[in-house]
Amino acid sequence: MPAIRLEGVSKRFGKIAALQKVDFEMQDGEYVAILGPSGCGKTTLIKIIAGIWPPTEGRVFIDNRDITGVQIEERDLGYVFQNIILFPHMTVKKNAGYSPRVKGLTEEQIEERSRKAMDLVGVLGQQGYLPSELSGGAQQKASLARAIASQARLLLLDEPLSALDARVRVELRYALRRLVKDLGLTAIHVTHDQEEAMSVADRVIVMRKGEIVEVGEPTHLYDAPRNLFTANFVGESNFLEGTVDSIEDGKARIELRGEHYLTVTKTTVRIGQPVVVAIRPEHLSLQPEDGDNSIQARVEESRFMGFYTRCRLRAETGDELLVDLPTGDPAVEEGTDSFVCFNPDFILLYPRPVEGLGEALKLE
Amino acid sequence: MVSLRAEGLQKSFSGTVALNGIDLEVKEGEYVVILGPTGAGKTTLLRTIAGLARQDAGHIYFDNQPVDTLMPFQRGVAYLPQNYSLFGHLTVWENVAFGPTVQDWNPHRRDQIVREMLNLVHLSDRRDAHPRELSGGMQQRVALARALATQARILLLDEPLRALDARLRVELRQELRTLAKYLGITTLHVTHDQEEAVSVADRIVVIRRGKVVQAGSPREVYEDPSSPFVSNFIGEANFLEGILSRVDNNFSIIVLKDGRRLMGRPTSVPADSHVVLGVKTDFCEVQPGKSDAQNRIPGTVVRSLFAGKRKTLEIQTNIGLLKAKVPSDRSLSEGDEATLTFEPENGVVYSIPSEGLRVALEVE
Repeated sequence: MPAIRLEGVSKRFGKIAALQKVDFEMQDGEYVAILGPSGCGKTTLIKIIAGIWPPTEGRVFIDNRDITGVQIEERDLGYVFQNIILFPHMTVKKNAGYSPRVKGLTEEQIEERSRKAMDLVGVLGQQGYLPSELSGGAQQKASLARAIASQARLLLLDEPLSALDARVRVELRYALRRLVKDLGLTAIHVTHDQEEAMSVADRVIVMRKGEIVEVGEPTHLYDAPRNLFTANFVGESNFLEGTVDSIEDGKARIELRGEHYLTVTKTTVRIGQPVVVAIRPEHLSLQPEDGDNSIQARVEESRFMGFYTRCRLRAETGDELLVDLPTGDPAVEEGTDSFVCFNPDFILLYPRPVEGLGEALKLE
Repeated sequence: MVSLRAEGLQKSFSGTVALNGIDLEVKEGEYVVILGPTGAGKTTLLRTIAGLARQDAGHIYFDNQPVDTLMPFQRGVAYLPQNYSLFGHLTVWENVAFGPTVQDWNPHRRDQIVREMLNLVHLSDRRDAHPRELSGGMQQRVALARALATQARILLLDEPLRALDARLRVELRQELRTLAKYLGITTLHVTHDQEEAVSVADRIVVIRRGKVVQAGSPREVYEDPSSPFVSNFIGEANFLEGILSRVDNNFSIIVLKDGRRLMGRPTSVPADSHVVLGVKTDFCEVQPGKSDAQNRIPGTVVRSLFAGKRKTLEIQTNIGLLKAKVPSDRSLSEGDEATLTFEPENGVVYSIPSEGLRVALEVE
């Protein structure tokens, strides 16, 4: 059963370090997403696990066996690419039966395996079609069927949904997770889409500039990211710079720009420390009057977004604040003043980064 | 600033109908998004308006003047194609100055415009860089500045964010709208991404198979979808088939196959018709155990997909698998007995589509 371990894996292309000493481990049956912006090294990482590229340094273990030098054909894995690669002259059924055929199974076994794989991913009805006759989503399902029919226990998904329409992507997310879990496969799924990563995976690895920034369960990464970059990349957040003014009863009073104050619970900061306050747009609310943990702000824009309404405000601290209100709450007029209330349970506090806040949050 | 009108546009490519009688109206300075799945005819529509493709039938007017016989450069449109390419050997400045230079503007005016455009897209400090030295998001901005530098009257954007990371798209889509509104330029933006459409548009025109299926404000197409397709394409919806047993001014009653009675909005569909009740997953709630809500469907949570702000619960019921998007702090997990509920005002009654519900909902 495939448990995977990477030890000190680095990869250099000439002078460029694509991966820098990456360590990580995953369990058999786990679904892990590798998430990060373009150029973060996520594709390099999955290609090294697949055996398409050798690492410059470090080792790769599958089931405690060092497979660093083993070729891709001998790694027993299913690989699904971003740019859907099917044999164009073969029908869906022939494509699905490719691996069993190469392995020299009997016609009966090939038939049974490809049929089962096509059924699982939902392309049985299109088994006689050529790839060119299928929509993008159906083509990607067919490549999934081919990967599954190989009966590999490890499925590597390299941006499998990126080439598809947004709406189709959402459908296939459900299908992917269902499939991996129902078959008890181990899966690694590379994506730049944080929502996709969170909805398919048991655990998400956030990468940036060739390094792992943070690893955690989706809810953990969203609710309590340990890192500023994660807080911004995995869902949107508001960030306000401040300084710790005082600490009492385990609560820190933070001074923001313009002598405004917020109280934050659960914290390990010290007095005088420069900090960044982070909070999700849905954890802010608007009130007509001043109250605890509130800052006055002017509504610059209010926009219907479906189940929520996104308000953009300019606070007295000078910061821009995004506030998401449930649609159906009383309408907020642009140009009016309001008080933005910070829910203390959801405020996150980070030491102010030495490289500057803008640099720490940069998306590319 | 000009208004734009298209009437009865038809266009076929060797037997394949791309535009099948499109009517479109865009007011001066309006930001309109053309939303539809791949193959709907979106790109053909833009190219026809730009003058890069000639319609087989129908007319296009700018400010009520027909432009059908005008060449692309005479139409005064800035067209940013999906696969734009910057001139690799030219600097950012030279790329943006390209249009004005070719059009032989006086150098003083040209430099002023280029400076202003670079300023608008926040690239003044990279004016001497070459495209390869820039990130994907920056290249996109250069392309936009180059398109705008010709002082066009209409901006046509074909999937302007498709090549970018998901998180970056969220930032840039906001910038696009801000820029277009600042310049007051009439804008048509094509996308397959309904969230992008809702977040930037004054008005959304949903097209499918070469036809306009609905046009309206983001709120209208979201809350009052005219067909099951639109209901499921902008957001996601559950569909419950049954017989419309009663309609009055305030509500309608639908009897499902299992005898369950559900209430929806009033409808013009005649009583006793075979109907489908569409309910957006955003408007479905899930309660643990039983519920005494008016509209309730009991079942079991079979899967929970976390997506940050919200999670999608899949509920297995005796009328099929239903979905609900609920705030992610709802403590419901896989295996729990639960009841899906929704308000009658969120149930929209449609006649059963003649082509069958499955075909009517196809998103690609």
